[in-house]
Amino acid sequence: MPERYISSPLELPSHDPAADFVRAELKFYGVDHSGLSYEARVFLNRPDASADTPREEGVDGGYAGSFHIFGHGGCFGDVGHCDVPSGPRHPYDLRLSHPLTPDTKTVVITEPLRRMRAHSAESSFTITVVAHVYDLGELPLGRDQTEPLLFDSVSLLTYESPPPLSATSEAEAERPAPAPA
Amino acid sequence: MEISDNAVIDNRGYQYFAGLHGLPGQYCRHGNPPGSDPLFLPWHRAYLYFFELALRDQVANAALAWWDWTSPVSQASGIPVSYAEDQAGGAPNPLFKAKVQPAAQQNGQPQETFRQPGDPNELPTAEQIRQIVSLRSFSDFTAQLEDVHNSVHGWTGGTMGIIPWAAYDPLFWAHHTNIDRLWRVWQLRHPQNFQASFLNRALPPFPLTVGQTLNMKTLGYDYASTKVTVPGTRA
Repeated sequence: MPERYISSPLELPSHDPAADFVRAELKFYGVDHSGLSYEARVFLNRPDASADTPREEGVDGGYAGSFHIFGHGGCFGDVGHCDVPSGPRHPYDLRLSHPLTPDTKTVVITEPLRRMRAHSAESSFTITVVAHVYDLGELPLGRDQTEPLLFDSVSLLTYESPPPLSATSEAEAERPAPAPA
Repeated sequence: MEISDNAVIDNRGYQYFAGLHGLPGQYCRHGNPPGSDPLFLPWHRAYLYFFELALRDQVANAALAWWDWTSPVSQASGIPVSYAEDQAGGAPNPLFKAKVQPAAQQNGQPQETFRQPGDPNELPTAEQIRQIVSLRSFSDFTAQLEDVHNSVHGWTGGTMGIIPWAAYDPLFWAHHTNIDRLWRVWQLRHPQNFQASFLNRALPPFPLTVGQTLNMKTLGYDYASTKVTVPGTRA
């Protein structure tokens, strides 16, 4: 059961110090939510992190945040009930999307990423995600139970603040005048 | 007239409403999958609206209460006493647990709701909520608020911790009323314009569109933090 995931190295983004990122986030794409409910705890540069690792921020602790899955508990319908349709939809199909359509989850890691960058000479880092499955007691869950932490990919996105207006004006001033008609 | 909680096919009753969310209705909308409209908040507002109307059909001045899990009391003690005690007034407390209708059971289970709550200091904090309510984009806001919502379901555990049976727990309604309240707070701070395709989206099984859930004045309720009343001149 993949209750732990360690990423391939992610390249640290390079930003002009004058226009550093104001927000950094990890986006997990194609996240399955058909099974159990769990918390996915995200650590930076902590390949040793496990379910027992304290959620301590800072360079040594490496904890960066978490996302939470409210699961469907397996499949309770007949065969095929929980199969998410693939392929294009009919243009007159006004039904809502299949409830088990994989989700996108976001964890904002702005400060943890800044801290890690300030204390690391490396140009890349790894993320470790640990699933903490919630206590559901003795519930009769459905068939085809999926494992926690099933997802397609994870991306690091950083956002810079927009340039000040004066800089925009200067850029426009340097732009060549439009050719006469 | 009292509707028995065994009258599962009576569409005025608790079992009917609880069964719309997970089993057997499976109507609830969660998540923000790419290419789909974010229906988590509008769908659950419609759900609360029709549930409260059903309550008021039985008790004219009934109103849903909200559970503010960021409050100092909840951060210290977890689930509110009114929901946590198995007895109230010398009788079984109806807010402590509820039956689960046979159509929602698997091999005869679960027959009633139960909880396995975590440590109260693991509940979302006021600072977390302050940051989420400050987000300007609706898509950011709904995704982050839904994540916190997920964490409280998981923290409560037991039947509340999983979609099929969560809505049978009486605590579900207080949890979601708080989510709806936080959306209202955000709406007041960040007025938005939405695309017509989103506003016109239906919210089955409820006869409301997304657009109709946005204006709470037309729904006839709001969230007051406090209410203090003093006698007037006729008193």
